[in-house]
Amino acid sequence: MALLDLGRKRSSEDGSPRSFAYFRQGLSRAQGAGNKPILVFDGVTKFHKPDQPTLRDVNLSIERGEFVFITGPSGAGKSTLLQLVMRRQSVDDGRILFCGRDIARLTAASIPHLRRNIGVVFQDFKVIPHWTVLENVAVALEILEMPRRLIRSRVAEALERVGLGGKGGQITGTLSGGEQQRVAVARAIVAEPALVLADEPTGNLDPHLALDILTLFEEIHATGTTVLFATHDHTLLDQRPHRIVYIDDGQVREARHGLRSFAGGSTSEPAKKEPAAPTKAAARGVASPPLSPELSPLFG
Amino acid sequence: MDLAGTLRRAARGMREEARLHLVSTSSLAIAFLCLGVALLMLANLDALAGAWERAGRVTIFLRDGARQDQIDELTSALSALPGVASVTHVTSADARREFVADAHLGASVETLPTDAFPASLEVELAGGAGRIGSAAIAERVSQVAIVEDVETYASWFDQLHGLLAAGRGAALGLAVLVLLCVLFVVGNTIRLVVAGRRDEIEVLKLCGASDRFVRGPFIVEGATQGFVAALVAMLTLAVAFFFLRDRVDGALVSLLGAHAVFLHPSMALSVLFAGGLVGAIGSALSLRRYLAV
Repeated sequence: MALLDLGRKRSSEDGSPRSFAYFRQGLSRAQGAGNKPILVFDGVTKFHKPDQPTLRDVNLSIERGEFVFITGPSGAGKSTLLQLVMRRQSVDDGRILFCGRDIARLTAASIPHLRRNIGVVFQDFKVIPHWTVLENVAVALEILEMPRRLIRSRVAEALERVGLGGKGGQITGTLSGGEQQRVAVARAIVAEPALVLADEPTGNLDPHLALDILTLFEEIHATGTTVLFATHDHTLLDQRPHRIVYIDDGQVREARHGLRSFAGGSTSEPAKKEPAAPTKAAARGVASPPLSPELSPLFG
Repeated sequence: MDLAGTLRRAARGMREEARLHLVSTSSLAIAFLCLGVALLMLANLDALAGAWERAGRVTIFLRDGARQDQIDELTSALSALPGVASVTHVTSADARREFVADAHLGASVETLPTDAFPASLEVELAGGAGRIGSAAIAERVSQVAIVEDVETYASWFDQLHGLLAAGRGAALGLAVLVLLCVLFVVGNTIRLVVAGRRDEIEVLKLCGASDRFVRGPFIVEGATQGFVAALVAMLTLAVAFFFLRDRVDGALVSLLGAHAVFLHPSMALSVLFAGGLVGAIGSALSLRRYLAV
């Protein structure tokens, strides 16, 4: 498993794992690696109840550096899709290729190496409330057994990126919900993973904070990281021209360039290079046109 | 493996669950104290048996009618043997007098005739002569005409060894019970700790931590619990032993002819090591089902 073993190796210069640079867009070492999709769902089926698949023959390709909304009603299978990628669950049929490797076939011992290449953010934050902010973020690097000095500098950098600079010493449980989610985002990105999965990260936040968090993910995306952002909040989808994957009844439909492209029926088009992430100013409160009659039943 | 990081995380875990660890360690210390007391009793029985065996004793019963010159000659010959500390002639009258004085059976004993008590030579062996020396003397003197019988107390020593073997078995059984108790207590403590830190384990696993990374601090915590409990038990036992020894040692020497002894250092260290090892094993076993995230 050359891909997974990369997580163990360190560069001689700064001791950081080399795998992340390898995965990021524009920094690929292998000539062909940059052209391959980072994530491919190939006929993926997942059952939680017999004869009632949560996901049914899902075929989906995520390019490197894409920002993709995963949406659909509650219980549609958004979280299942993400949990299959991080191997919290296993597929019942089909395969999932991460950088060309079938992660459904990974052994239990290899799963940690997969997860070191994926940053995850959850709706319920999953931070340890009695730890400091620094400890919560540093844990992702301690797992990689980085030197403490490097961990401190990388964590400080990540906290700056999420707007929590100077708060490393605070007990995480004393922070607001929005700040705790930023801690979770900092933990997800501190190891510079190739892929960030966000499972309803704005679900517990008010609309204003939700937009802030979305903007934060877009800033992360702007650095070349692939982001899968699961949400059922159509107000977020409405304001951003990102590719949308809609899951309902276990099946997937998609629009390449935001909600409005759904009406145009462009689902079969190949992936295109995305526009740069919008600015923070644009992220806040830009009024969107009303949904088309076709989309209203889906997102209304 | 990042040992320093593991120790750091274990120290943090023990700080966070200090009360739970304290209660658990106290329970374990009591269990180890029971084991220590059993081992101490066994060590003293062993020491007593050894002391008695080393300071061996042979009683040579003389035939009625043995002349004084024959007795003196035998006494001289025995005194000249290597390993013999002293030879004392006990006449029939001396034997009767000693018996009456020691037995406290009342006037009925005093009516017994003097010749009911055979004269004897009491041979005290020097330290180290032991059972082999007794047997050698018995073999030699049994050939002498004036000797009726020789008592080497071999059967008494055999009984004592049987008693010691039973004591060792009981101590071993107690040791197994204590170790199971340690496994149980450490396992349950770590289960409680893990239940309280399930979120932490989930976060670690989702960030890509291996089972070894997650398990490490918990194993250190279990080992520390076992080791500290055993250390507390050994220290408590040592303090109690040396406190009591000063008060009872004189009586023990006069009654049993041996000093009280503490556990051999290697035995005490083995208890500490076993405490740490069993604590670590108990912790590892209790963690298995919590690692599937």
